[in-house]
Amino acid sequence: MKKILNTPADYVDEMLDGLVAAYPEFYRLHGDSHRVVARAQAGRAGKVGIVSGGGSGHLPIFTGYVGTGLLDACAIGDVFASPSSEQMADAIRAADQGAGVLRLYGNYGGDVMNFDMAGDLVEFDDIRCTTVLLADDVASAAPEEREKRRGVAGMVYAFKIAGAAAEAGQDLDAVTRVAQKAADAVRSVGAALSSCTVPQAGRPTFDIAEDEMEMGMGIHGEPGVWRNKLRPADAIAGEMMDRLLADMPVGQGDRVSVLVNSLGATPPEELYILYRVVKARLEGAGASIVMPLVGRYATSMEMAGVSFTLLKLDEELEGLLRAPCDCAFWRVG
Amino acid sequence: MIDRAALLGAIGRLAAAMEREAPALNEIDGALGDGDLGITMTRGMQAVQQGMAEMPADLGQALLRCAQAFTKTSGSSYGTLFATGLMAVAKAVKGRESFEASEVSGLIAAARDAMQARGKAELGGKTVLDSLDAMAKATAGLSDPAEVACAAREAAREAVEAFRERPATVGRARIFAEKSRTMRDPGMLAMTRIVEAVTGEA
Repeated sequence: MKKILNTPADYVDEMLDGLVAAYPEFYRLHGDSHRVVARAQAGRAGKVGIVSGGGSGHLPIFTGYVGTGLLDACAIGDVFASPSSEQMADAIRAADQGAGVLRLYGNYGGDVMNFDMAGDLVEFDDIRCTTVLLADDVASAAPEEREKRRGVAGMVYAFKIAGAAAEAGQDLDAVTRVAQKAADAVRSVGAALSSCTVPQAGRPTFDIAEDEMEMGMGIHGEPGVWRNKLRPADAIAGEMMDRLLADMPVGQGDRVSVLVNSLGATPPEELYILYRVVKARLEGAGASIVMPLVGRYATSMEMAGVSFTLLKLDEELEGLLRAPCDCAFWRVG
Repeated sequence: MIDRAALLGAIGRLAAAMEREAPALNEIDGALGDGDLGITMTRGMQAVQQGMAEMPADLGQALLRCAQAFTKTSGSSYGTLFATGLMAVAKAVKGRESFEASEVSGLIAAARDAMQARGKAELGGKTVLDSLDAMAKATAGLSDPAEVACAAREAAREAVEAFRERPATVGRARIFAEKSRTMRDPGMLAMTRIVEAVTGEA
């Protein structure tokens, strides 16, 4: 293992200390678990709260997106491990401004179980909770089993859209509805070139040869669709677009946003090489691209690879996507 | 009869057993999952043990504290399921300072049902639910403490082997379904170790 750290056991706590120290205008640690990050200034009274959470190792997901027009609070587990239900309950309490709280997170068994349990725990605090799960990874299950799909970078769009609706003063049911609408309109696919190492495991999560890539791999190294020799950028981008468009066709006059995301080690240079193909394919189908995002938005530590996320917009979603937001990793307006 | 003293005894044995078994449980879990099963159980039981001195005589309250030790220390699915099962039993014995061995079958069934609802899994899916189901059935109608303990232990051991050849159907192990054939399910194996320790035969 070649990582900059002190001891694996302190990896997450020290990361959070540093994050909060670097951006005290955005983040603060809430409660005594050291694993709940909330907005430096709580949202205004009567605003619907939005919480997310999951394992560490994906910055800016999840913690980074705590901010105005985005999330109110977040519970963070060890690397690639769910936070505890108590920590999630604390995050819900931190997010609550009296108007209820939306739990908005990725579809992973452990996170679902713990967020459900956290909902039971905050019932004693009279906090009403709703849930929207992201299940955007098209490589993780067939369309007829969509509810089994994993949530990946599509979360970024869902945070943005739900966050904007909450900031605009919509009530819990309305925020939940629009978050679900975004979750239903988003698709992602990833490709990995190298593995990553969970600090407490000390060795790479999976082995992959120097000249190989894996199409469809999950952000924790879950097996993908195929593994073979590394292909040229245009062929990789072409196949990833094929997979997205097969699952969610895009046609003449459609408006879409697209996120070309590095899984960690892949540099922005390579993302821009891929973006040429993404743009050509979408515009070739007659669609217009709104607010494209190219960069590191959802990662798997030092994994080399890329994911594409496509969000199909209507007037409502586009308005919320363009609304202002502010956190240490993303600002709109 | 199971009372506070019996519970404290079981906690001590279980904490020691989990510490001892942690490397083996981590290893078998690591083949299919994230390899933290032993850590989850050890950390949870250490937290339970720290609260032993103040453990109330009301078994419902006592078991609720045990459950909370797991919800505080662990985010792993197994820890949350274990807490869910403990909470179901806590609810069933709330306000009582003891229960009889003849009630164990019903309490295991209550834990099984609550964990099934929380985990949204089916019976027969090669999970800890199948261990609990076998234990509930094997102990039904028994009232002698030694017989109940023996039946529960045997049922848990047999369930692990009975499901060994089946593919995993839920959780991370599901994506390695083929690889999981011929492997013992980590969660079922952990439950065997748990019941062995609790019944004093670890």
